[in-house]
Amino acid sequence: MTAVQPGASGTLASLIGAISGASLAETGSTVTVKVPAAELEGAVHHLAAAGARLADLFAAGQDPTVLRLVWALDAERQYLVMQSDVSGQEYPPLSDVAPAAFAEECEIYEQFGIRPASGKPLNRVALPPHAGPDFPRLGHQPPQAPAEIHAPHTVGGHAFEFPFGPVRQVGVESLYYGLVTSGEEIVDLYLFTWHKHRGLEWRLRGQAPRDALFHVERTEGLSAIAVSWAFAAAVEAALGVAPPPAAQRTRAVALELERLYNHAAATAALCQATGLTVGQSAAEIALERLLRLNAAAFGHRYLFGVMDVGGVRRAPEEAALRAGLRGARSELRRAADALASTNSFLDRLEAAGIVTGEQARRLGLVGPVARAAGLAIDARKDQPAQPYLEFPPAVAIRGSGDVLARFQVMQDEAAESVRLIGDLLDAGAGAGTASLPGAGGSGLGWAESSRGEALAWVALDADGRISRARLRPASVRNWRGFDDACRSQNVFTDIPIIEASFWLTVAGTAR
Amino acid sequence: MTTSDPSIHPQRTAAGATPPEGGPDAHEEQATAELLRQRIASQFGRSLHIRTLDTGSCAACEQEIRLLTAPHYDLHRLGFFFTPAPRHADLLMVTGPMIRAFDIAARKTYDAMPGPKIVVATGACALGGVYQPDAFVHGSVGGVLPADVWIPGCPPSPLALLHGLLVAVDRLAEKVAGLSFASDDRAGEGLQ
Amino acid sequence: MTLWFLRGLRRGVVTTRYPARPDDSAADLPTPPVFRAEDLDQALADRLVAVCPSHALRRDADALVFDVGACTACGRCQEAAPGAVTSSGEFELAATSRGHLVKRIPLRREARA
Repeated sequence: MTAVQPGASGTLASLIGAISGASLAETGSTVTVKVPAAELEGAVHHLAAAGARLADLFAAGQDPTVLRLVWALDAERQYLVMQSDVSGQEYPPLSDVAPAAFAEECEIYEQFGIRPASGKPLNRVALPPHAGPDFPRLGHQPPQAPAEIHAPHTVGGHAFEFPFGPVRQVGVESLYYGLVTSGEEIVDLYLFTWHKHRGLEWRLRGQAPRDALFHVERTEGLSAIAVSWAFAAAVEAALGVAPPPAAQRTRAVALELERLYNHAAATAALCQATGLTVGQSAAEIALERLLRLNAAAFGHRYLFGVMDVGGVRRAPEEAALRAGLRGARSELRRAADALASTNSFLDRLEAAGIVTGEQARRLGLVGPVARAAGLAIDARKDQPAQPYLEFPPAVAIRGSGDVLARFQVMQDEAAESVRLIGDLLDAGAGAGTASLPGAGGSGLGWAESSRGEALAWVALDADGRISRARLRPASVRNWRGFDDACRSQNVFTDIPIIEASFWLTVAGTAR
Repeated sequence: MTTSDPSIHPQRTAAGATPPEGGPDAHEEQATAELLRQRIASQFGRSLHIRTLDTGSCAACEQEIRLLTAPHYDLHRLGFFFTPAPRHADLLMVTGPMIRAFDIAARKTYDAMPGPKIVVATGACALGGVYQPDAFVHGSVGGVLPADVWIPGCPPSPLALLHGLLVAVDRLAEKVAGLSFASDDRAGEGLQ
Repeated sequence: MTLWFLRGLRRGVVTTRYPARPDDSAADLPTPPVFRAEDLDQALADRLVAVCPSHALRRDADALVFDVGACTACGRCQEAAPGAVTSSGEFELAATSRGHLVKRIPLRREARA
C-alpha cells in the first residue's frame, strides 16, 4: 500500500524553482501555474518524477489555445492547474511522459486541432466519424482527421478482431468494443464511445451556471450529485463563494446516498455477470430500497435537482432518511455477507480483471479501481473540502487489484457511507444557497463520486456566464484501465464481470 | 389515495378507455389509438419480448429499465420478457435523444425486428425534452424511428415503465389523454 | 445454496401488486405540474416558459402549452410560482398518441389587479 512520493515538503516550490518563466496564482486551495510552452515538457517531467498524479488535461480558447493540466498533489492536499499557451498547432509530447494523458491528447486534437509534437498517431475518441468542418467543436477543426482504427498491436500467433456493439445486451448502455482475440483469450480490447457524444461541454457555453446545472447533472445520471457538485464547486471557486455549512452537509448526505446505491447496483451487476441469480435478486432488493430512500429523502430516485450553485435546492427529509437507511443498509450487508460465503461467486471474482498498482498509477486511475490496487487516493481525504474536513471518511484499500478486491472495497465504502450520513444528519443538514456575484473568473471543483474523483473546471465571462466548462466524470479517467484489466489471463465471459466491477458509464465519458 | 373517480386518481385500471377531452383532432387520434389497440391485442396475444435501445441516454433510464426484472417489479409475472436479439423482439424500448452518430445502429436494430412491432419512446430525452435538435442530436426518437407509445419521466420509474408497457399492449387503458394538467373550472374553456 | 434458499424464504415477497393494486412507493415520485388556469396571465406564463429547462412549456397567443412528454418534473416552474403551480401526483402518463401529452391551458384575459 503506497501513496504518491512527494518531493520534500514542496513539490510546488521545487517546480517553480525548476521552471524558468513560471508564475503562480492561488484561487482558494487551487494553485494555477502559468508555464511558457517551451518549458512545458520539463515541467511535466518534473511533476511526473515527483509522483504527482495527472488528473486531467484539456484545452480552452482559440488563438491562442490554452492547454491546462490538472495535477493532484495528494500528499500536499492540493490541486495544481498548469496552463500553457499554445500558439501554432503543436505542443510538447506529454503522454510520452505521462501515459495518463493519451486519450485527452486525442480529444484535444479533435476539438481544438492542436497535437503533440512527437507525430505519434492519435485515435478518434470523442467525435463521430461524420464530424466535418461544420460540426460543433470547442476550437478549430484538426488539419487532418485522426486515425479511424486503434493503434496497431502485435500478437504472437493468430488473432482476429471482432467488433461488438454498440447495441449490446438488454438494459445496458450502447458501447462499441473492438475485441482482439486468439480464440478465447483477450489479446486487446478498445472502446469507441463517440456514438454517445451529446456535446455537453459545447452546450454549456453562454449559459448561466444555475441554468447549466440541469444539463450538468444529466452528464452522467448515475453520478448526478458528484458531477454537479464538482461543477458547482468550480463556479464557487471562480466567484469566491462558499455554501452555508448546513448546505455543504446536505451535499455530502446526497453524495453518500449516491455512493450507496451505485455500489448496490454494481453488486447486482456482478451477480448477474457471474450467473448468480439469487445474489442478483438480493442486491436488487437492496438497490430498490436505496432508490426509494433517495425519493423519500430528496424527492428523486437519482437525486436530480438537489444541487444548486452556492448551496442546495432542498434539505433532506430527515425522519424518512433515518428510518429507511438502517433497513436498506442491512439489506445490502446481508446480501454482501451471503456473497462472501458463496464460493462459486468468489471463484469467478478472484484473480479476474487484475489492475496492478503500477498500472493504476501510470494511467491515473481513480476510485475503487485504484483503491483496490493499493492506491490510497480518495478526493474526500486527499483534497478535503467541507464538509469532509470535519467528517473525514476512512478510505478502503485492498492490494490484489482484482474484481474481488473491487467488490470488497465497495462493501467497505458502503458501510462507511452509512456512518457518514448519520454523523452529517446529527450535525444538521439544511437547505440554502449563498448569493452569487455577477462576475467573471475561473475555478476548479471536485467530488469523489462512487466511481472515483470527478473534476470540473469552469471559466466565467464578465457577465458571469460560462465561457468554458470542462466536465471530467471519473468514467473519463477509468475506461482506459478497462483494456488492461481485460487483457492477459481473462476470457470473454470475464468481460461483463470486469465491466461490472469498474461500474463506469459510457455517458460520463462520451458526454 | 384513491377516490371513486378512476379517471382522475392514479393507480386504478380503468375498465374501458377514458374518453379523451381536449386538443384538436381528438376524435381522429382516438380512432387511430383504437385501431392500434385492436391490432396489438389480436396479434400479440399475451406475452411480449422487449429489446432496449440506448440512443444517448445519461444512463439513469437504463438503470430503471434493469429494475423491471428485479424482485420489486418482476416484469415476468405480467408476461413480458427481455431479449437481446432484435429478431425475437416484439417491442423496442428506446431511450436517449437519438444522437445522430447513432442513426445507423438504431435503424439496423429496428429493421432487424420482424413485424408486427411496437416502438416505445422512453423518457424525456426520447420524447423531445432535455435536448433540442442540433448538430449532435435529433432531439427525440421520432427523427429516426416511428414511435407508437410515449412514456414521460426523467427517468420514468419502474412503475411508470410498467404502466407504459401495459398501455402498449392495451392491458391498461390510457389515462393521460383525459388529464388536463390544469385545475379550476375554466380549464374546460378553450379546449375544443 | 441452502444459505440463499433460507435467506429467500425469510426475506419474503417484495413484489408490487401493481397494476392490480396501487403501490405506495409512488407517493414519493416526482410528477409533472398542474397549473391553476385562473392565475395564469401573460406575464406569469412568460416567466414559466423562461424558467423551464426542458422546453416543456411554450406559448401560443391565448394559452400556455404544456408538453408533458418533455417535462422532467424538475420543479422549477413550481418554485417560480408556488401557488399557481403544484404537483399533479400523476405517474401513469404513457400515451399512444404524442398529441395526448400536449396540453393547452388557456390564459386569463386580463392581468390580475
